[in-house]
Amino acid sequence: MDEQRKDILRMLAEGKITADEADQLIAALERDQPASAGPGSAAGPKGRLKYLRVVVDATEDGTPTKVNIRVPLQLLRAGVRLAALIPPQALGEANAQLSKSGVPIDLTQLKPEQLEELIEALDEMTIEVDQPDTKVRVFCE
Amino acid sequence: MMPQLLTVRVNRSRGRRPIRIWVPVLPVALILSPLLILAVGVVAVACAVYRISVLRALGTSWRILSALPGTRLDVATGNTAFLVSIR
Repeated sequence: MDEQRKDILRMLAEGKITADEADQLIAALERDQPASAGPGSAAGPKGRLKYLRVVVDATEDGTPTKVNIRVPLQLLRAGVRLAALIPPQALGEANAQLSKSGVPIDLTQLKPEQLEELIEALDEMTIEVDQPDTKVRVFCE
Repeated sequence: MMPQLLTVRVNRSRGRRPIRIWVPVLPVALILSPLLILAVGVVAVACAVYRISVLRALGTSWRILSALPGTRLDVATGNTAFLVSIR
């Protein structure tokens, strides 16, 4: 990709193309970049993954149990916005309870933008728990 | 877009017919609109008490409602299965 960009810049320097044409070519290259990403790339183009899936396959007392949950990522984003509406006094109480439980997280320091980033990063997350009688998979699709 | 159809399916133990319920959300919401208006009033009062912007709270609630389509919960254990799907 860098080579193609260099070629465009070289053509611009040699006067074979105008600055506008070079701009259009570079923009076209950037548009093609996500599509040309190989299967080895960590995640597809942003916005392609729409759901968070939780799949549990377990056996309890010889009875097979299957759980299949699909949650739209959009719902998580909306939930994050709802969390931003929690009044400060409730957050203070939640902080106290979290500290008591050994999870010293200050929820008042969490900004909606950070939570949004967290949701965005879920795209690349896959959790797999594999035990003899239980299999759990959490992933985005 | 707000949810259009809520589907609930319950497969009970063997020999019993499964229960299937389809709930068209919009008509049910229209029928229950007096209760919904009452609920919005209660939410507005709660927001005022806790000093939260009513518009922001209602906007966020609408956003959550709009994000529900596509949600699916499927639990099966032994001969019993339970499915909730929102479209």
